[in-house]
Amino acid sequence: MPVIELGMSGRPKSGRVVGIDLGTTNSLVAFVGDNGPEVIRDESGNALVPSIVYYDHDEDRLLVGEEAGDRLITEPHKAIYSVKRFMGKGGADVQEDLNLVPFQIAPDSEQVIGFQMGDRVFTPPEISAFILRDLKRRASRFFGEEVSQAVITVPAYFNDAQRQATKDAGHLAGLEVLRIVNEPTAASLAYGIDKRDEAIVAVYDLGGGTFDISILKLKDGIFEVLATNGDTHLGGDDLDNRLITLLLEEAKSRTGESSAKDPAVFQAIRRAVIEAKHELSEAEVSFAVIDSGAERGASFERKITRDEFEGLIVDLVERTLGPCKQALKDADLDPGQIDEVVMVGGSTRIPLVRRRVKELFKREPHVELNPDEVVALGAAIQADVLAGGRRDLLLLDVTPLSLGIETMGGVVAKIINRNSTIPASASEMFTTWVDNQTGIDIHVLQGEREMVDDCRSLARFTLKGIPPQPAGLPRIEVKFLIDANGILTVSARDLRTAHEHSIEVKPSYGLTDEQIEKMLLDSFEFAEQDIRRRQLVEARNEATTVMHAAEKALAERAQGLIDENERAAISQALDDLRGAVGGEDHQLIREKIKALDDASHHLAEIIMDSAVLAALKDRKASEVAEG
Amino acid sequence: MAEAATNTEKRLQTCAFCQARCADVHFCPACRRIQPLSAETDFFSFLGLPRRLRLNAAELEKSFYSLSRQFHPDYFMGASQAEQQASMERSSMLNDAYRALRGNVTRAQYLLSLEGYKEAEKKPPADLLEEVFELNMRVEELKTAKRIAVEGEIGEARSSLEEALSSLRARLAEIDQRLLALFEQWDDIFERGNAASEKKPVLDRMSELLSHRSYISNLVRDIREEL
Repeated sequence: MPVIELGMSGRPKSGRVVGIDLGTTNSLVAFVGDNGPEVIRDESGNALVPSIVYYDHDEDRLLVGEEAGDRLITEPHKAIYSVKRFMGKGGADVQEDLNLVPFQIAPDSEQVIGFQMGDRVFTPPEISAFILRDLKRRASRFFGEEVSQAVITVPAYFNDAQRQATKDAGHLAGLEVLRIVNEPTAASLAYGIDKRDEAIVAVYDLGGGTFDISILKLKDGIFEVLATNGDTHLGGDDLDNRLITLLLEEAKSRTGESSAKDPAVFQAIRRAVIEAKHELSEAEVSFAVIDSGAERGASFERKITRDEFEGLIVDLVERTLGPCKQALKDADLDPGQIDEVVMVGGSTRIPLVRRRVKELFKREPHVELNPDEVVALGAAIQADVLAGGRRDLLLLDVTPLSLGIETMGGVVAKIINRNSTIPASASEMFTTWVDNQTGIDIHVLQGEREMVDDCRSLARFTLKGIPPQPAGLPRIEVKFLIDANGILTVSARDLRTAHEHSIEVKPSYGLTDEQIEKMLLDSFEFAEQDIRRRQLVEARNEATTVMHAAEKALAERAQGLIDENERAAISQALDDLRGAVGGEDHQLIREKIKALDDASHHLAEIIMDSAVLAALKDRKASEVAEG
Repeated sequence: MAEAATNTEKRLQTCAFCQARCADVHFCPACRRIQPLSAETDFFSFLGLPRRLRLNAAELEKSFYSLSRQFHPDYFMGASQAEQQASMERSSMLNDAYRALRGNVTRAQYLLSLEGYKEAEKKPPADLLEEVFELNMRVEELKTAKRIAVEGEIGEARSSLEEALSSLRARLAEIDQRLLALFEQWDDIFERGNAASEKKPVLDRMSELLSHRSYISNLVRDIREEL
């Protein structure tokens, strides 16, 4: 498959593998250096890239992260956030979510959701790819060479379609995804509680949109997951929504029905309650300051106490305990047998969450590492293992959900149970029901329930090209393999002829290979625009440096060295360049940089000469001294 | 057919990469590369274990960890496609084998399947039939009590079910004891060289015990859910 070189061509390819935490709220990238794992920060020291993508159709302008977030209130219809909640989902899955986000869903969103942004439609893997591409660039800039291989983390409880969607996003971003790693498992690597010979560790991971609990056994550098459970629909977003719903009601009573439906008011409230939520982890009282701009009318302040907040979210926090107990049961352990509890994800900063976890496991949870960074650090460690950096560590993860196939009467027959160590496989024998039947349909599902309708449909396969024979005679062995990413592959073999069978896969949710190919081309168009943007930024930066130097020379050194005409020419060139920098044309900026260069060439020479003279003078003095 | 068989044999006897002789090994002794898996390998032989039923859990875990370190796809990222495939095959086989062999019940089930037994239908032991009948009635009573929400009756139905539950658990423990005795018998026969006439009655008993066991454990699960 062609990997699009997104504007980084010309730089040497790097053998580096980075670890990426593609989060609901924030994303970040990390690597293992000489001093162990570390996150990569931008120029201003920020490690977190808000998982927000802004797209303006008229200007054809794409922004990712902080800049995109800044526009949520001013242009709410042009930005997508929390896209992770939509990964690997079909339209019917997300009705509830859609009530709480102001996104416009494109028609034809049955198999894959499409977000309508102007005339364009973006799927969740594409939106995620924009975020990944931003992280890829950050890493490439940091190393000064192109980074093209990554480990990306996902919630442990993600199903096959959600994992595949994440892998697709990486591919679209021009990354080779060497491994999909479960977030709690990655976190356990970063904590590296391998000081002890043997320990049972529970990782409680409550992030922006998802909840995971994983129980691991650590022994001699092997991190063996015993059981995992979770809820891919429970996280900080849901806590925010409780506060948002409350304040929307209040906004309605203050300023009338219309303002509550205004996406700008919604975003203003959302931003205010998130800030208040963060404060309430430290303080007993906080004020949500809603300011949606004077013309919208909805500007008010609301006092929120920690007690009130806890009352609003207590049932959501309780909902995390069920999966914890189930995981303990599956691992055949009592809470008392857990040696260490590790807290991961921003939502574990909430005191109520810490309290309940402590009560359940009867021990003080670990909170030493930054819960926002620990997953990326772990992903970097796993990336280092895959790059061949170390062999002392080994992750043995499990599949979170049972895999089954549809049998008579819509019943699901389980073929790989949940919590099986991966890679895991199962073989099933299939035969024909009628004479001369040449194809067999197989429906694969994921989930714990008995009936097809209660499980998640993964795909329908058709075994083709079975030679015509009496019914029941063909013996086709189908091998289901869940790989180390937790992703299913299927192969089939005719036991009588030993021929490999062709299989036609129709995933129930997710993108087809053709769609991905098309998107790759689409993102190429974007890459072109992005190159232009970067060229503009680079030209502006250079212009700033040149202008600064010229101004300084004029002010401090030019006195008496050049005449008035020359001084005027330089000033003029400076003004021209300043004007060009205000525009969007990088070529014009380059022209004006050159013009300023030319105009100040003579002055530079004179300054240089005098500097050389001065240096020579110094040298003579020192030679004399030495002599 | 005969020709196909010879081909298979040949493939198994030589290294997939350097053609050195290497029958039935994980890695070629000459070039050290990981070998593709043959379709005939069973879990016991894969782990280098005799087909005995009593095994040391700590040693099994040790060999699982040590083989994981040799086979895992993490360590073959830079290798050829064929080696990556072989690593995937061997580590999934290892995981499947460990999962099947680590528990007494699943290990016995696996051995039975190797010896040509189909998974027996879950059925209650004959002397338990009456008890099962009684139990189902009590479960119904509890359901009715819950529906009409009479506290006293719910409590009564509940405590009688709790009682039944502990007797069923005792039953399970007893079955497990008998299973272990059968394991010992099987291992003895195995040591002495596996006479088919001796094997069959032991395997039949084991199959029957497992059928009872899964019936009772399902019953326990259902009752617990109702409670």
